[in-house]
Amino acid sequence: MYEIRFHGRGGQGGKMAAEAYALAAFLEGNYAVSFPFFGAERRGAPVKAFTRVDDKKIRIKTQVYEPDYVVVLDETLIETQDVLEGLKKDGTVIINTQRKPEEVRLSKPVKCATVDATGIALEVLGRPITNTAILGALARATGRVKIESVEQAIMEKFGARLGRESGEKNARAARMAYEQTLVGTSQGGKEFVPRPQWLPDVHEMPIGGAIGTMKTEAGLIGIGSFVENKTGDWRTFIPAIDKEKCIGCRFCWFYCPEGCISMVEGKAEVNYDYCKGCGICAHECPAKAIEMTREVKA
Amino acid sequence: MIQKLERKKMVITGDYAAAYGGMISGAEVVAAYPITPQTLIVEDFATFVNDGITDAEFIMVESEHSAMSACIAAQAAGARTFTATSSQGLALMHEMLFIAASLRLPIVMPVVNRTVAAPIGIWCEYNDSMPQRDTGWMQMSCEDNQEVLDMVIMSYKIAEHRDVLLPIMPCLDAFILSHTVEPVEAPSSDEVAQYLGKYEPVAKLDTENPMAIGTFAPPEYIQELRYHNHMAMENAKRVIREVTRDFARTFGHDYHGLIEEYRCDDADVVLITIGTVTGTAREVVDELRERGKKVGLVKLRFYRPFPREELQKIAERVGAIGVYDRAVSFGSGGPMFIETRHALYGHSIPIMNFLAGIGGRDVMKKDVEKMFEMLLEAKEGKTSKEIVWIGTRGVTP
Amino acid sequence: MNIKDLSDEILFTPGHTACAGCGAPPIVRNIMKIFGKDTIIYTPANCLLVFGGTYPYLAWKVPYFHEAFENTGACISGVARALRKQGKKTLVVGIAGDGGTYDIGIQALSGAAERNEDVIYICYDNEAYMNTGIQRSGSTPYGAATTTTPAGTKIPGKLDHKKDMAEIMRAHEVPYVATMSIAHQRDFLEKAKKARDVEGFRYLHIISPCPTGWRFDPSLTIEMSRKAVDSGMWTLFEAEYGEITNIYKPKKKIPVKEYLMGQGRFRHFTPEMVEELQRWVDHKWKRIYGEEP
Ligand SMILES: Cc1ncc(C[n+]2csc(CCOP(=O)(O)OP(=O)(O)O)c2C)c(N)n1
Ligand code: SF4
Ligand code: SF4
Ligand code: SF4
Repeated sequence: MYEIRFHGRGGQGGKMAAEAYALAAFLEGNYAVSFPFFGAERRGAPVKAFTRVDDKKIRIKTQVYEPDYVVVLDETLIETQDVLEGLKKDGTVIINTQRKPEEVRLSKPVKCATVDATGIALEVLGRPITNTAILGALARATGRVKIESVEQAIMEKFGARLGRESGEKNARAARMAYEQTLVGTSQGGKEFVPRPQWLPDVHEMPIGGAIGTMKTEAGLIGIGSFVENKTGDWRTFIPAIDKEKCIGCRFCWFYCPEGCISMVEGKAEVNYDYCKGCGICAHECPAKAIEMTREVKA
Repeated sequence: MIQKLERKKMVITGDYAAAYGGMISGAEVVAAYPITPQTLIVEDFATFVNDGITDAEFIMVESEHSAMSACIAAQAAGARTFTATSSQGLALMHEMLFIAASLRLPIVMPVVNRTVAAPIGIWCEYNDSMPQRDTGWMQMSCEDNQEVLDMVIMSYKIAEHRDVLLPIMPCLDAFILSHTVEPVEAPSSDEVAQYLGKYEPVAKLDTENPMAIGTFAPPEYIQELRYHNHMAMENAKRVIREVTRDFARTFGHDYHGLIEEYRCDDADVVLITIGTVTGTAREVVDELRERGKKVGLVKLRFYRPFPREELQKIAERVGAIGVYDRAVSFGSGGPMFIETRHALYGHSIPIMNFLAGIGGRDVMKKDVEKMFEMLLEAKEGKTSKEIVWIGTRGVTP
Repeated sequence: MNIKDLSDEILFTPGHTACAGCGAPPIVRNIMKIFGKDTIIYTPANCLLVFGGTYPYLAWKVPYFHEAFENTGACISGVARALRKQGKKTLVVGIAGDGGTYDIGIQALSGAAERNEDVIYICYDNEAYMNTGIQRSGSTPYGAATTTTPAGTKIPGKLDHKKDMAEIMRAHEVPYVATMSIAHQRDFLEKAKKARDVEGFRYLHIISPCPTGWRFDPSLTIEMSRKAVDSGMWTLFEAEYGEITNIYKPKKKIPVKEYLMGQGRFRHFTPEMVEELQRWVDHKWKRIYGEEP
């Protein structure tokens, strides 16, 4: 049996990719299961999905903790979390990026495959939907399924939902990714501090779960504690405010869904810890003082 | 606040006793919706309010679901609450019962046991309260109207205890208690106020000390909270025993904890009853004793928490146990029977289930006699029947 | 009242997990600036419940409470009565979605309104059950595609029109009913302030565009509110004890088509469907403004 973990963002289709891969493996006579991590995350939040493949019936029903392969649909995710967590010793990570494997920095040096799935998707589908292209790279990097099976699975799964033509285009994106995938070794040494969790035992657990505000080893909890959740890593576009142009009208401050714009000496300022990059501020600014650009994460 | 009320004897219905109990216990917010045969409780309480006997807030909600929702909310905001329902009304509340228990809110709600449709009927059956078994509520049954009044008062004491903090439904039989008048002795308002004290919530909605109650929670937290509820129910057994003892000392009426034994000491066989059938069965026990039959009776008061330890002790000394049930868990047996069997695992004596009074059919002395007769046979090994329907046309018991 | 008069204090914090560009958080954050700290919040099951906190974290900085989905009216009644008993003047506010208001919650809401409970009930209207994955509600407009009214080859989206919930609430003759849009800043703030200061039952109904469910670019959320009003799809009014006291009339009425464009949920619209929706709007327009559009 081998296990795959997909990392994406809510709305990017990581779950669909995991399911389509399971179908491809099934088409080759395997038994395969696929499931998402059932969370409450909304669109844009980091999410995970899993696939397990074996040549006999899979009975285990737990989540996947030690995957053989990790697939990253969104490059920005490798900056904010250790996508290699639990990866088996000789496991492989497959990343959607323009970079070569040797240019990717992760927590450890590991076998790494890269492909510009976004570029391929934009070219073939006209939209940056990468969940099909990445499957081509997965097939290539692991050699576990044939690209023809991936194509067929995509046609069945996406074709059924979006129409035949769309199914074919998506299959083509996978094929292109298959051909363009580079396999090598990533850099290591990137450090991640795991976010501590507050896990009270039955003696510490408040009655009925009712909480006021508490300071814990995991930071603030209870009333007003969501500030601990830095949603800035959801962002793919980033606003830049031109203070010269800003007339201090407060529109952006008023409309920003995150409440992460403050007025400093009459000018708007963004707290990037929380900005999700929705672009509302830029759209509503009467002075055209805000510009959205694709964020390049260091 | 309530008016000063003196200790007095009244001849009242079970419903009045329930309403009086809630009022004299100082319920501050009441939300209720009428359903036969609980209607008198709502009406009596409304009269207490409109006559100025209590200044409780009475929310005349538009459904039982809202009644429980409003009580949960008011209790979460720090008020002592009261409501009552029956049958379909309790079924409609079902969703909210879990929430009251899981938020650890000591709400007191008399339930007038009435059959749940179909066919629609208004008479006594326990298929309304017993299916609420796993909601986390304490649940007990009363034998007479005195017990109804006393039990509503004791309910606050038990439910609000720091080691318990669980909601409770004292149950009374439709019509047999709810609409039957009998003499009841009520304590004075001062006595009750002193006995219960003020309700001090562990957490409440208050802008001076903001708290979050009922937040969306992932699996990392729910299991510990469920364990709390499990332990609270275990603690409740101890607290119930203490409270009934203490109540007997203070008010002179002794309810003996989770069960009451009647002529069990040297009994060959005992019958476990619940609710008003207990009174009838006491008569039968006396008569059979006169005829030299060594029979005894166990009045089961609490269905949740279930008096496992008490029943185990009894099982050690008798030759057969019968369990009377006024509801059926289809595919298994009577709910009390299932519980008793579970509690008595390892005991090799015969345990029989008697189903009677379903849909409100009267349970007569001869029916109870039949139960004892079969129990005595079982003790002798003359019958191996387990689930016996009494008084069902075309079915031989 | 102007946005410049609003305080900087935030009672619904960043870090919440709504989709980027969600219309609900700015509504909630700004309205809380008007309501202030002496407020207790109830939310039923909906997106706001989930993105406003995952145990042990919470975006709310005021006492916060949740019970279930269909009972907001009853829950806020219970809190309000307990506080009245304690002699407190705290504002009690329930914030429900359209599903929790139009459909499953209408009974408890109507009961609370009829009893004139001293509470504020807010409906943030994103025109479907978003929390459970974009299923239709009584608020979903005609023709819109949702996951339970998909734009199929036989049935093209929702066949029924949107229910006029604000009118239903006005018919309860409660002290205050207002419909709002956050794109209309001054109007929004004035109504929130009025609601805060009136006693008795107050109903605020606010359009809350949902980029995920309506399928539009998240930068256009405020624009959607604006266009909804300008097209007549959404109407801004105030009513006191059932009497309409104020109606906002768009300076220039835009065709419904302009509002529909750019929303994926209407992408499958045929000219006939556009016409049907326009007819519905024109009828409503005439009823409200007493003149042909
Ligand atoms: C009794 C009950 N039925 C169904 C649900 C499932 N449920 C939770 S939220 C929701 C939809 C909420 O929709 P809405 O009120 O419009 O708020 P939104 O999520 O769109 O903001 C549903 C159906 C539930 N929680 N309780
Ligand atoms: S893009 Fe602008 S409006 Fe959107 S979250 Fe960031 S700062 Fe706020
Ligand atoms: S909207 Fe534009 S002009 Fe107004 S405060 Fe923001 S950045 Fe400045
Ligand atoms: S689904 Fe819609 S309403 Fe829900 S959080 Fe996302 S944008 Fe907001």
